[in-house]
Amino acid sequence: MTLNLLPRLILLFLLALLVILLGLLLGSVSLPPEAFFALLTGQGTPLHTTLILELRLPRVLAAFATGGLLAIAGALMQVLLRNPLADPYVLGLSGGAAVAALLAMLAGLGMFWVSSAAFAGALFSTLLVFGLAYGSGQGSATRLLLTGVVIASGWGALISFLLATSQAHQLPGMLYWLMGDLSHAPSSVIPWLVLLVVLLALIPLGRTLNVLARGTLQAAALGVAVQQVELIIFGLAALLTAIAVTLAGSIGFVGLIVPHLMRMVFGYDQRILLPASALAGGSLLVLADTLARIVIAPQQLPVGVITALLGVPVFLLLLYRSNRQ
Amino acid sequence: MRPTHFIFFLLLVFSVLTLINKALATVKLTDATGQELKLAETAKRIISLSPHITENLFEIGAGDLIAGTVEFSDYPEAAKQIPLIGGYEQLDIEAILALEPDLIIAWHSGNPLAQVERLAGLGIPVYFTEPRNFSAISHELRQFGQLTGKNLKAEKAARTFEQTLHQLKSTYANQQPVKVFYQVWEQPLMTINGEHFISQALNICGGENIFAELSQLVPVISRETVLAHNPEVIMGGGMGEATPAWLNNWKKFKSLQAVKNNRLYFIPPSLVQRPTVRFLQGTQIMCEKLQAARNQRVTSHK
Repeated sequence: MTLNLLPRLILLFLLALLVILLGLLLGSVSLPPEAFFALLTGQGTPLHTTLILELRLPRVLAAFATGGLLAIAGALMQVLLRNPLADPYVLGLSGGAAVAALLAMLAGLGMFWVSSAAFAGALFSTLLVFGLAYGSGQGSATRLLLTGVVIASGWGALISFLLATSQAHQLPGMLYWLMGDLSHAPSSVIPWLVLLVVLLALIPLGRTLNVLARGTLQAAALGVAVQQVELIIFGLAALLTAIAVTLAGSIGFVGLIVPHLMRMVFGYDQRILLPASALAGGSLLVLADTLARIVIAPQQLPVGVITALLGVPVFLLLLYRSNRQ
Repeated sequence: MRPTHFIFFLLLVFSVLTLINKALATVKLTDATGQELKLAETAKRIISLSPHITENLFEIGAGDLIAGTVEFSDYPEAAKQIPLIGGYEQLDIEAILALEPDLIIAWHSGNPLAQVERLAGLGIPVYFTEPRNFSAISHELRQFGQLTGKNLKAEKAARTFEQTLHQLKSTYANQQPVKVFYQVWEQPLMTINGEHFISQALNICGGENIFAELSQLVPVISRETVLAHNPEVIMGGGMGEATPAWLNNWKKFKSLQAVKNNRLYFIPPSLVQRPTVRFLQGTQIMCEKLQAARNQRVTSHK
């Protein structure tokens, strides 16, 4: 089985490389491919060097990391909650991050503080949901899901309130954040480090995850310390999502659909599914962001607009084909 | 009746008639939407539905006639004492009615039309403003003069405005053009197109907005395009009156002419965000900055 899937994984990896290359080549300023080769040999013009190395490269890398983080977080949430509709934001994490980020914007703070506030808000919301769901000692995935959904609605109401009461000139910034926008992703290695470390850390957990996905009773019967593992998964997913939100605001769809897509292609083994989701999520977001940059260039779209437009037809196609088989 | 008596009588009738005539329709004018407005007498209790309207009313000495205004009406200082009736995009209709206004001055593209029409339906006269260019500002000052009976002061303010404008135009408009990138927002990166007031101000200064051709008034654009256009000057405002950090963010792009020659300029946003007399102060600052860039160009070529 695993041997059978390896070529597909390699293909996915090559696809990811191709998409990253595309993201470097395309932009609102069109560059000839020669310019790119000149750059590789160190003979690029200053403008081309700035465009590719200072603007596009950090953005493409941030997009890939964000997509990867969200896709893994989504896959983990779907295992944890055993619910196909689960995504990284289902437990109110993006809502907490959004409220904190919007408040920082209203206070007129710079992007560094907006990102920091988003991270803090995400963690606060996670702790809140976790405390409420498991505080009484009698925690369960259903209780966690319900608590999360209700808290998420609460955040949603606060977001509407902030949008309704803020000044018109602040709205575009807020809406772009809420739709997910990579133009201000800080260039940092942390997201990539976290992505790799989590993927490695999940390898020994792979079997446990596979068992857990079948249900808590079976998992407990097979000797899995269910509560403990659930806690680890929840913590990891929250951390991954919080970092993604810090990079690019709340980008929907990737965390929900990419794990499902990968399940149709790779089956249910979490040891393959998680790395595949990371690759596919990263590629999808890089592709979406590249399109967001060029579709109506020089004007720009928030990436969240494109992710769903790209993902929906691909998902429906695969669903249709897997039904026929 | 003796002839002298008759003449006296005629004079009396004449003066009574003029008084009646004055009382019937003293104000009659057409607003920015082409709608004709008739007021029996000049307005005494005005509701101003935009900070720029409040500012222009104060400019012609009619500030004390404003019974209510919207949030952010912060100039001049006295404007802050006027009772508020909501924000310009969300009006409190009950509060407006409670102030018993005899005229509402509305901003056509800024206020919610449904709410303003509701007020008009209740029998309150509505005058719409929509200043889109500099001549509309002086026109608006004169119209406000007629509405409030402050014609003389309004005419004076309008004249001063037109003279200053003419002076700026004749000094700068035909100078060598300077390529300008004007940034209004950082996250997302936003600029203005050619129709925008600020872009018109740049034209008066002999500046050339690199994004004048875009169709949206305040479009979101990519940093790449700015680098490719390689503007000679980068200008912008921001939220507060302090130099915003993002103006400095450009400094890492050393290939930009504007960065190389250190031509990053801060324009106080309060001077260029409203179509009022203060906009000329903002324009004056822009013109001086562009002229500095021009002079630097001349000396560096020598």
